[in-house]
Amino acid sequence: MWIERKALAQEFPAVSGLEARQLCELLASLGFPVDGVTTREGSEVLDVDITANRGDAMSHRGMARELAAKLSQPLANLTPTAATEGQPVIEVHLDSPACPIYSTALLVLGTGETPREVQSFLTALEAAPKRLPAVDASNELLHRYGHPTHAFDADRIHGAVTIRWAREGELLVTLDGVKRTMTSRDLLIADESGPIALAGVMGGDGTKVTEATRRVLLESAWFDPKTVRATARRHNLHTDASHRFGRGADPAMARVARDLLVERLNAWCGAELSGAWTAGAPPAKGATVRLAVSLLERVAGDGLPLPEAAEALRRLGCLVEADGEGIDVIPPTWRHDLACPEDLAEEVLRLRGYEHIPSKLPPLEGPPEPLSPGYLQRQRLARRLAHLGFHQTVTYGFISPEADAAFASPGNQSEGRGLANPLGQEFSIMRGSLLPSLQTVAEQNLRRGSREVRLFELAPTFVSGPRGPSEHLSLGLVWGGVLGGEDYLSPARSVLEADLSGIARDLGWERLPEIRSLGENLFGFELPVSELPLAEDRIIPAFRPFSRFPAVERDLSLLVDLDQPYRVLAETMRSSLPSDVLQELRCVDVFRHKSLPEGRQAWLMRMRFQADRTLVGEEIDGWVAAALVAAESLGASLRA
Amino acid sequence: MDHLLPPDIVEAGRTFPSALAACSDLDTLLRLKGAYVGREGSHAARLMDLLKLAPKEQKRELGAAINALKQQWEEGLKSRQAEMEARKRSRKAQTAGWDPSLPPRVPAQGALHPLNRLMDRLVEVFRPLGFHVEEGPEIETEAHNFDGLNIPADHPAKASSDTFYLAAHPDLLLRTHTSPVQVRTLLRVAQDLGARGGIRFLSPGRVYRKDEIDPTHSPMFHQVEGMLVGHGIGMQHLKGTLEYALRALFGPHTEIRLRPSYFPFVEPGCEVDVSCPLCGAKGCRVCKGSGWVEILGAGLIHPKVLEYAGIDPAEWSGWAFGMGVERMAMMLSQTPDLRLFFENDQRFLKAMGGLD
Repeated sequence: MWIERKALAQEFPAVSGLEARQLCELLASLGFPVDGVTTREGSEVLDVDITANRGDAMSHRGMARELAAKLSQPLANLTPTAATEGQPVIEVHLDSPACPIYSTALLVLGTGETPREVQSFLTALEAAPKRLPAVDASNELLHRYGHPTHAFDADRIHGAVTIRWAREGELLVTLDGVKRTMTSRDLLIADESGPIALAGVMGGDGTKVTEATRRVLLESAWFDPKTVRATARRHNLHTDASHRFGRGADPAMARVARDLLVERLNAWCGAELSGAWTAGAPPAKGATVRLAVSLLERVAGDGLPLPEAAEALRRLGCLVEADGEGIDVIPPTWRHDLACPEDLAEEVLRLRGYEHIPSKLPPLEGPPEPLSPGYLQRQRLARRLAHLGFHQTVTYGFISPEADAAFASPGNQSEGRGLANPLGQEFSIMRGSLLPSLQTVAEQNLRRGSREVRLFELAPTFVSGPRGPSEHLSLGLVWGGVLGGEDYLSPARSVLEADLSGIARDLGWERLPEIRSLGENLFGFELPVSELPLAEDRIIPAFRPFSRFPAVERDLSLLVDLDQPYRVLAETMRSSLPSDVLQELRCVDVFRHKSLPEGRQAWLMRMRFQADRTLVGEEIDGWVAAALVAAESLGASLRA
Repeated sequence: MDHLLPPDIVEAGRTFPSALAACSDLDTLLRLKGAYVGREGSHAARLMDLLKLAPKEQKRELGAAINALKQQWEEGLKSRQAEMEARKRSRKAQTAGWDPSLPPRVPAQGALHPLNRLMDRLVEVFRPLGFHVEEGPEIETEAHNFDGLNIPADHPAKASSDTFYLAAHPDLLLRTHTSPVQVRTLLRVAQDLGARGGIRFLSPGRVYRKDEIDPTHSPMFHQVEGMLVGHGIGMQHLKGTLEYALRALFGPHTEIRLRPSYFPFVEPGCEVDVSCPLCGAKGCRVCKGSGWVEILGAGLIHPKVLEYAGIDPAEWSGWAFGMGVERMAMMLSQTPDLRLFFENDQRFLKAMGGLD
């Protein structure tokens, strides 16, 4: 919000003695940081941040009140000549509790303009003056005192005025020229011919003040914040008035603002009062909130003297009554945010300055909890993969339906994972797989000249279910491009599926991972993290004795069919060998060449035997022969 | 004595040193050796034949001359051969050896994502104070994301212009902050809070808000929240913890500053500034000359948040804070564009993420 320094000083004279920097720091220390200072219309204008709970601070008077309380210096007087309350010239009926008070006056306008200084005040706040005194005065009051008011052209009002809930479908053309359809939850100002204003949000076009206006009906009311917020949102119509009523205006200001308006119009254009009257009354004062010493001391962190706290609250406008154990507080009519003892404690600390809060470490009341196994597992996986040369990526959780369909498992319906209001179709489905995102990132890296991409992501994937999607932490990994060839020891070659299987194996994935081809020399897999091994509970695993006798290795070079599944052959050979001596059996070389019989390839199978005794040549020969027989049963033959 | 020897051999004896010097490899040397001292047909062999046929009275004199010549040749050949072999050995040693200044073969190096790395670091900083990690789902209920945090039913953040909702499940949304993890955790531990001696945890994670993608906005980003519940917890404990943590992160000379602010789920609430870690609070572009950088929001847990979880605010109190990970990462690294963190260019990841 814009705060003009000159106007601020008019409300709180002590401001003139402050440098701009001091003023900014003071406001920040009160919870109103200043985003910037500019000069407009020859005056410094501050861009002040005001939090959503402080509707009362959204004006020059509001800021002044805060500064005055902080510095214990007086505010300028605000005592307009009170208009004499009389009989209504136009009848006003309050039909809804959302408007407890509606203060009005009827004025006959004279001639005269909005004073130059008010015009430049409005210009400085980027609120263009309309050069219509009734409109400008209302606008000036809003910015200066924070109370929104409105002026109707009285000659365009038909009969009595009622503040009532709209009827479903009623129409109103608002000041901005938009025809709006009301709902039964919109609060209206209506005359006998229909709606003339959207209460607390915007006036109607049909009754607006123009240069032709001779008589004005002033409105200075108080509207229920929730009602105003809902209406503003429903009609997407956020105005200066709706911001202030929506955050809670001061009901006690209803009459005062009307009087201020009358005073101004009288002074500016010789307007004559035909009558002033008020329907309803301000709501009863707020309930008493008790701030106990114990709570104050707990929040503040040290022995804050009760009289100091009481004094701080008094300076903020509270009615305060202190006893030995606490203070009973009735907040001022403009502070709707002071509802619980903690709110009051904050006010005391705020005025005293947060810099006075002591600094202490909280005592440990129980044993610290360990990090969860799942968290540790994820940390370990990420670090292991980074050490293996992979880069961790972070990609959006939502992707396009097409990308999702290409990778999500068949039973995982995308309908259950769609967003109602996505940023765009390409961000509309909570992904069933990490691979589409990784594929895109990998392709981008390769396109930008990377020889090799190694990427992984640890993130949830989503599975549709009757009560909403469930989340499963997944590990997605892609590897592509050309390996090696960058030094004099490793020749260049393309990345192969086998490279990825090796990574899965390294991470403790025992089964065959499903490796997807994602492009030329680009492969990926995705694993459910819940099925990867957790770190062992034991600090050191249980001891397993190992043989001190030497191991013996034997190789068998076998010719097998090109379509021979390796796993079957290995299993068959393994089952023919005594499991207690066979340490390992694996293929260590694959040879495919035109010199081999057509349809065949050569596998070099290595067996390693070890036992708790020295193995004898003959028994090993026997095992190797048995393994060969087993292999032959699958059509393999010894390579000559 | 030369008159006793055939003239061609005399000539050969004269040219021997230059012939020896001209041998560039072992093969030539061996051929030269054959020609001078070989068993058959060499100059030496011919001299021996000559000696056999020589008259008796000349034998002695001739023998001495032949021996001198042979010895000269043999020694010359031997030392030349040794020289050549030594050179060959040293060349072999050179080829087999390795120049340590050649670029070594460095194992492939990957990287953690900078955002993850920063979150890990935060967890590490809070671990010694007994904080553990709590996590929750990214798809949340309105109750956990808003209601349990004292966010009023008509709060603008709930609007579909701010929060993503699921089409098939209108009551579900993408969490807009990591605070629902607080609600879940408090609900879970409420019954045995006394036995535990309160609770203290961090909740790092991904959150979503409906912001268009631009250099400073992303519809998905990361937060780290911290929460502590105990007996008699006040603002002093919040300040003490944050002072410790921010000094652990930014260095021992770091100062912090609390300013009043407002969040529905805390009371009192504050923004926390840290003395600019980039310029040492002297004033720079990052702190806009003020010496301070806004780093997180915090406050004492609102009694309504405790009550929602079934925790008696008369007995228990606590604090909570929340910080934006991207914001902090951008500030620390002066990365100019938020989108770089989600583009995942390997060069960026390698340079910014690294490994610890």
